[in-house]
Amino acid sequence: MDDVHFIEIEDVHKGYTVGGSLVKALDGFSLHLDEGEMCALMGPSGAGKTTLLNIIGGLDTVDSGKVVVGGIDLNRLGESQKASFRKHNVGFIFQFFNLIPSLTALENVLVPAMFGRSDLSQRAEDLLVRVGLGKRLDHLPKMMSGGERQRVAIARALINDPKVLLADEPTGNIDSETAREIVHLFQELNNEGTTMIFATHDRLVAGRAKVMIRIRDGRISSRKKSPKDGMIHLRDEKE
Amino acid sequence: MARGTFNSASYGLSHLRHDLLRTVSMISTLSITIAFLLLISSLYFGMTTELSSGDERKGILEGTIPGSLDMYQEFQIDDSIPEEARTTLMNWLFLTSFLIFVVALFIIYNTMAIAVEERRAEIGVLRSVGFSSREVMRIFLAEGAFIGLISWVIAVFLGMPLIVNLSVYLIDRGEQGVFFVQPTIPYELTLLSLVLSVALCLGSTYLATKRSVLMSPVDMLRHRD
Ligand SMILES: Nc1ncnc2c1ncn2[C@@H]1O[C@H](COP(=O)(O)OP(=O)(O)OP(=O)(O)O)[C@@H](O)[C@H]1O
Ligand SMILES: [Mg+2]
Repeated sequence: MDDVHFIEIEDVHKGYTVGGSLVKALDGFSLHLDEGEMCALMGPSGAGKTTLLNIIGGLDTVDSGKVVVGGIDLNRLGESQKASFRKHNVGFIFQFFNLIPSLTALENVLVPAMFGRSDLSQRAEDLLVRVGLGKRLDHLPKMMSGGERQRVAIARALINDPKVLLADEPTGNIDSETAREIVHLFQELNNEGTTMIFATHDRLVAGRAKVMIRIRDGRISSRKKSPKDGMIHLRDEKE
Repeated sequence: MARGTFNSASYGLSHLRHDLLRTVSMISTLSITIAFLLLISSLYFGMTTELSSGDERKGILEGTIPGSLDMYQEFQIDDSIPEEARTTLMNWLFLTSFLIFVVALFIIYNTMAIAVEERRAEIGVLRSVGFSSREVMRIFLAEGAFIGLISWVIAVFLGMPLIVNLSVYLIDRGEQGVFFVQPTIPYELTLLSLVLSVALCLGSTYLATKRSVLMSPVDMLRHRD
């Protein structure tokens, strides 16, 4: 029965000390996900979604519990090994895009490959064409709309061909029309085999995922398989 | 727009260009400091070098500052300055240059610290895309070293000729009771100032960046204005 999953998170505890008192971000959290899954994380603000994404991506450490991603036990990695894990396995996408303001779209996409030996500019260009920004290669972030910036960020997340894409409220700062396009892009990438996990407050966005996980107080409060029509009926989420 | 290969050097240069005001203020602060230090030392060497070793100095001069040989032939050091006056003057000059140096160090450190503070989210991104804190530090140090290098170049190839010409001009108009010493900058000192300039920048960058770079990337990414 102990079959191996792409992502294995077992009984993870993670707390932050804020002003002397301990805030439990994850409290005995467990989750198994298979490769190629598309998973939406929902839940009220402070539930622990960002914390979970950071832990899966090797950006944050756990206090206790098991975290294995793609067969790699993250608890055993040192700082530079974790960096290398992130570089080769993970693509992060953020709510505020987090592009480097001084760099063009193309250069932003190339940032993760900055120290690499091989020249990935052709691949970066292809990725920007792929996300519909083929004509914006030399544009700075400030010349682009939120949706366009997020697409640059997606191309950047893809440059090193990651196994898993982690997106933290990727459509949180984007109008709903553009958000649909972004999610559509996620679906395409997922269909090509990339495992996707994203945190969102938007029920329609979450409805596109195959698996929907609801977190509350650092634990899973429900897990659902999305029906084919992509419609999921949930209580309204209020912050 | 020319598109060469993108690497960590172009990353740093883009940022320095993007943050032009700060880059210019750091470079001007440092280059003025370096030029001033060179001037002080040149006075020192001008006053202490024996006149008899003039030929040797000619060589040094011509090797250091192009065109300075002409100047050398026209002017001679006033050997009649009393010993104590020289010493007092030099002490004051060295004290002043030390203070200027400390102030410059503080300004540069401070400018960098503020810049790094503003770039925390950026550091978080760099960490998230797979760079270790060491690699992030390398990016910042490269930027710092570049500032040190450019400042030195400006100080030596722009600042010094300016100072030399100014001295010549002043010597020309030398009035009674006022003495000017012909600047002489030994070759080694010019090199030393390069080392000093770059080391100063690397040191300030390291100190200003260390805390942010070693912080958890999660905290960096949470940092929003
Ligand atoms: N670096 C940190 N320092 C202190 N407290 C933190 C830190 N990171 C998370 N927390 C706390 O842990 C809890 C979970 O935070 P987390 O950011 O994971 O929630 P979230 O589900 O992403 O919320 P949101 O929907 O608002 O983004 C919150 O109470 C938060 O205040
Ligand atoms: Mg969050």
